[in-house]
Amino acid sequence: MGGALSTSVDITLNSLVLGGVFLIVATGLNIIYGLSRVMNLAHGSLYAIGAYAGYTLTTIGFNYFAAIVIAPVLVAAVGLLLERTIISPMRKRSMVYTLILTYGLMFFLDGLIKQSWGNEPRFVELPAMIKSTIPILGSHYPVFRLVTLFIIAGVMTGLMLFLNKTKIGIILRAASTIPEMVSCLGINMKHVHIGAFVLGCALAGIAGTIAGPLTTIDPLMGHEMLISSFVVIVIGGLGSLRGAVFAALLIGAVQTLAEFFITDLAMVIVYMLMAVILAFMPRGLLGEGRFE
Amino acid sequence: MKKFLFMSALLVFAVMMSMAPHAAMAADPVNIGVLVPLTGIVAQGGVEMKYGIEMAAEEKGTVLGRPIKLIVEDTQVKPPVAVTKAEKLVYKDNCKALIGVFSSGVGLALAQNIDKLNVPFLTTHVMTTQLYDLHPLVFRSGQLANDQTAVGNVKGILARENLKNRTYYVLVHDYSWGHDAGERFIALAKQNGIKIYNEKYDKAPISTKDWSSYISKIKASGVDGIYMAFITNVIPVFAKQAADFGLQAQGVKLVSAAAPGPLEMEAGGEACHGIFGASDWSWDVNNPTSDAWEMRFWEKFKTIPSDAAVHSYVGAMNLFNAIEKAGSTDAKAIADALRGISYDGPYGTVRISAKDNCMRNDAVLTETMAAPDNPFGAKVYMKVLETFPANELGPAE
Repeated sequence: MGGALSTSVDITLNSLVLGGVFLIVATGLNIIYGLSRVMNLAHGSLYAIGAYAGYTLTTIGFNYFAAIVIAPVLVAAVGLLLERTIISPMRKRSMVYTLILTYGLMFFLDGLIKQSWGNEPRFVELPAMIKSTIPILGSHYPVFRLVTLFIIAGVMTGLMLFLNKTKIGIILRAASTIPEMVSCLGINMKHVHIGAFVLGCALAGIAGTIAGPLTTIDPLMGHEMLISSFVVIVIGGLGSLRGAVFAALLIGAVQTLAEFFITDLAMVIVYMLMAVILAFMPRGLLGEGRFE
Repeated sequence: MKKFLFMSALLVFAVMMSMAPHAAMAADPVNIGVLVPLTGIVAQGGVEMKYGIEMAAEEKGTVLGRPIKLIVEDTQVKPPVAVTKAEKLVYKDNCKALIGVFSSGVGLALAQNIDKLNVPFLTTHVMTTQLYDLHPLVFRSGQLANDQTAVGNVKGILARENLKNRTYYVLVHDYSWGHDAGERFIALAKQNGIKIYNEKYDKAPISTKDWSSYISKIKASGVDGIYMAFITNVIPVFAKQAADFGLQAQGVKLVSAAAPGPLEMEAGGEACHGIFGASDWSWDVNNPTSDAWEMRFWEKFKTIPSDAAVHSYVGAMNLFNAIEKAGSTDAKAIADALRGISYDGPYGTVRISAKDNCMRNDAVLTETMAAPDNPFGAKVYMKVLETFPANELGPAE
């Protein structure tokens, strides 16, 4: 069953999938932080809501691919509600307030998830066409994991095009760099903040929906993802999208390799890497606060 | 005359006063502290444990002529939290015994504090072998201990044509129970000629969600068997991801050191078929007591009867009967009564050894598969393949 080539294929693809999910979650977190300076500790819970929304949609008969489109919209709607009712009134206060607020929000959302869907893990039913494995250089790799990779690539390409080629995207990037100037140009910063929060939540929703079938869905799934995402954005540089891409792929690869070769110390290696990078590059790989 | 009347009234008053505490005591419940995980990774198992203990309390009704009052606390599967909650239960709520506890780490932390708490602690789910003869106030009546599970699984592997003559990859959750379960199995398997691929078994963090790296490693090893020691609700998660990578389809067999929870198996569906493992009970155990218990449980909670619930039920019955036998709620008296006590329940006689304070009972080897028609609407169940008598599982007394 084994073989060096097939094992290399497995490791490479696994690390890309893992890094890709980290990337989408971390990018959402980064957009929210970069544009509105809100460190959203409830981001992991929104990721979990995305997973449960995807699960529920497939359970009631929606196709998995339809769920990937609808679930993030639902999470974005939750994000809009949260931004308007809870986050916005706190925006003018110190970041510590929103930090504490979103910390409480995380527990509230986790409790809500538990009440709505129960404690037991949930598994997403995938379409039969992507449930099999496909031979790649001697490895039998799950088709839906490859599909997930394409979805991640599609989402990130779409996001980059949105931020670089559309007027709204350009405004968002400008607002992350010189918000005062954007405001002077007649752009309502309130709308920028809402847009950033909703976009970040939608990304959490996408990540949750695609991560559900990869792993499993449970009420606390967002906690580990939140920690991993923080590792990604700290290594990449707070607010830096390009940094997040590098960091997510790096963490995905390091974690996968460590789990394979030094199983017992896998997570230690990841955190050691973070400590080493921060020791030499305190602002992360690509510094802070630019949507490049 | 006046003096006589005064003395009579005084006597009547004194008699009434002396009776009053007894009258009040008769109405006072016996408080029992129930420590279960209601949040965190094993919350569903915690709920099932609570159900089992509640059912036992309801069916027992009273002990020492007093109602049983269960005071439930959530351990969050965190040792410091469990110790704090135990202190609250004993010092504030005046609980006379503690029952429940999931996770060897939590159970051992509580056992370390038992002198201070000074109440009997009966665990229904701590499987570590360190619990044998650990403390005069610490008891186990519940899930099979790791050595007993290892015996059951090794016997099961040797008894089944489709399990023996395979090489097993050992992967455990990285905490005391997982280590103990892995080591017990490896030692016994080697003695019995079962091939182990990695004697220095792999340890995965409890927080692991994505098992793909571990599965790739197992694929690369070329083994055709996996021995896994995971927290119960993670078993279907791993099985499902292994199925995604086609491991089971390629003939790899899964043997588990713990029984998967029924609701998790339902969620996992077909991916959860083909998991072997030794445990105390499954609803496929057919005897009148078991069948009746299953139906009572189903009628009461409308959830599939689980081994977590049945262990807890039996453990609670042993505890309540011991309090009755002790004739008081004194800690030492209850502990003395627990030693050697037995209860005939859904999985036969469960006896707490007077030698080491841990239970002895028969066990079964099961395989998960599509369920036949059943009153619970379960689609996956643990089919009983073999039964092992208590004296074969040990340990020797």
